[in-house]
Amino acid sequence: MITRAKVRQGARVIVIGGAISYRALFTWTAPAMFVSSLFVVPVLQLLFFTHLGRQLGVADDRFFVIGGAVLSAGFPCVFGGTMAVANERAYGTLGAVLLTPGGRVALWAGRMVPYVLNGLIVAVFTLVTGVLILRVRIAPADLLMIVPTLVTAAASCSALGLALGAIGLMARDVFMVSNLAMTVLLLVSGADVPRSALPGWMRAVGEVTPVTHAVVAARAVAGGAPLADALPALAGEAAIAVVLATAAVVLLRWFEHGSRRRGALDAH
Amino acid sequence: MRGDLRRVLRLTVVGVRHHVLCMSTSPMILVFTLVTPLAYATLAFYLFRAADRPGTPAQVAVGAGLMGMWESVVSRAGGAVQTQRWLGTLETLVMAPMPLAVSLAHITLAAAIVGTYSMGATLAWGMLVFGMAPAFTDPALFVLAVAGCVVSLGMIGMLLASTLVLLRNANAVANTLDYPIYLLSGVLVPITVLPGWMQPISAVLPTTWAARAVHLAAGGGGPGEVLVPMGIGLALSLGCLLPAVRMIAWVERRSRTAATLALT
Repeated sequence: MITRAKVRQGARVIVIGGAISYRALFTWTAPAMFVSSLFVVPVLQLLFFTHLGRQLGVADDRFFVIGGAVLSAGFPCVFGGTMAVANERAYGTLGAVLLTPGGRVALWAGRMVPYVLNGLIVAVFTLVTGVLILRVRIAPADLLMIVPTLVTAAASCSALGLALGAIGLMARDVFMVSNLAMTVLLLVSGADVPRSALPGWMRAVGEVTPVTHAVVAARAVAGGAPLADALPALAGEAAIAVVLATAAVVLLRWFEHGSRRRGALDAH
Repeated sequence: MRGDLRRVLRLTVVGVRHHVLCMSTSPMILVFTLVTPLAYATLAFYLFRAADRPGTPAQVAVGAGLMGMWESVVSRAGGAVQTQRWLGTLETLVMAPMPLAVSLAHITLAAAIVGTYSMGATLAWGMLVFGMAPAFTDPALFVLAVAGCVVSLGMIGMLLASTLVLLRNANAVANTLDYPIYLLSGVLVPITVLPGWMQPISAVLPTTWAARAVHLAAGGGGPGEVLVPMGIGLALSLGCLLPAVRMIAWVERRSRTAATLALT
């Protein structure tokens, strides 16, 4: 039976635990690293692809600004989500975390929350900077409507990061996997290339990976469509977030059981 | 004098070989050097296809290869000192009788050589997967242009290594140098489409000329067309090397005076 005390305890684990883990485990919080990796690089990437697309006449600047902004949410979320798990082992604290009596869903969900917020801030910054530098015309009301799509993209990317972190507990170099994941998202999400130009198998991979549906939704609302029109795409992105988050929790649970059985909490 | 030169050359061969081997065994470096440029090549190919451009643009494969070469130099050379610091070998390098600049040159040159893996990978990928065969008329000229590009990038790497040496977060700064150089050097996007104010900056970058030489060689340009931009690129890179060497000597002297060999 779920009591009020249990709900309060879960909320505390999510909010306070999440905040502490973000401060302790996200190694990009040094100002220079934070600004360069999370604010400068996404904007530069956006400008590069916009100029490439402009030169080829593939699509207008708005296409690349929206795509780049949604994709930028992945930088803190994928890498941060991975760090939220993998760095526990790197810092030798995984054993202590696995011994806590707290609920596992709250524990790991709490890890995602700060990165969702971080991803949202990065995506909004990239969007606004791209709009201002490239003088893209998007109505302020439409800009606001893009925010829900950025939140869902950040959530699905954080869930992906968490799942990669869980896999990372069994791999030697998890950040290589995170880098590969970001490269795959760049390729298949349609953020920087029209998906109609991609081969069928890449489109199929994009259907089940983060960012793709959020990009579709964001481009729809930026074009003046009501949010209701973008709801199916948003629901698709949210479904991917739920599936990935569930996979992450199951993987972490499986890892925890295996570790307890072997009596080796963070060694395997 | 001749003995010193021979010693430097011998040490350079041994040092470069050592660092190339070290970098080539790192899965992370190989992913960045091989996989990421392939992703860029693939993305650019589909962008070209979406634009319905005629022909198969071999410049996509060459451009993505150049991106990989630059990324390798920025990542490895930019953080060369920091990496040695982490490995605990910086003090040894500073105390060695050979000038520190020579030891760092091995790393930056090795980074540029490892970057050529990108060029090989994107060319092979382009030909096998997308049928983008470069229009070489003289493969030796292309190899020469790439070699010139390696030397240019190695010298620019020295400038990066020397200017980032005093920064605690050198990697963070180096992170931001990829896309501006991709854009300004015309590796995939012609510099003619850049805003007017960017073009003079582009013209003084050694990477622009080195990339132009490689693109021309891949596109069937003759020796006259290729060697001129290659020469300009090398001359501009030499202009980077001289202040880099002075800077490294200054940093070394300063660290010895302050007795902080970790250079922090």
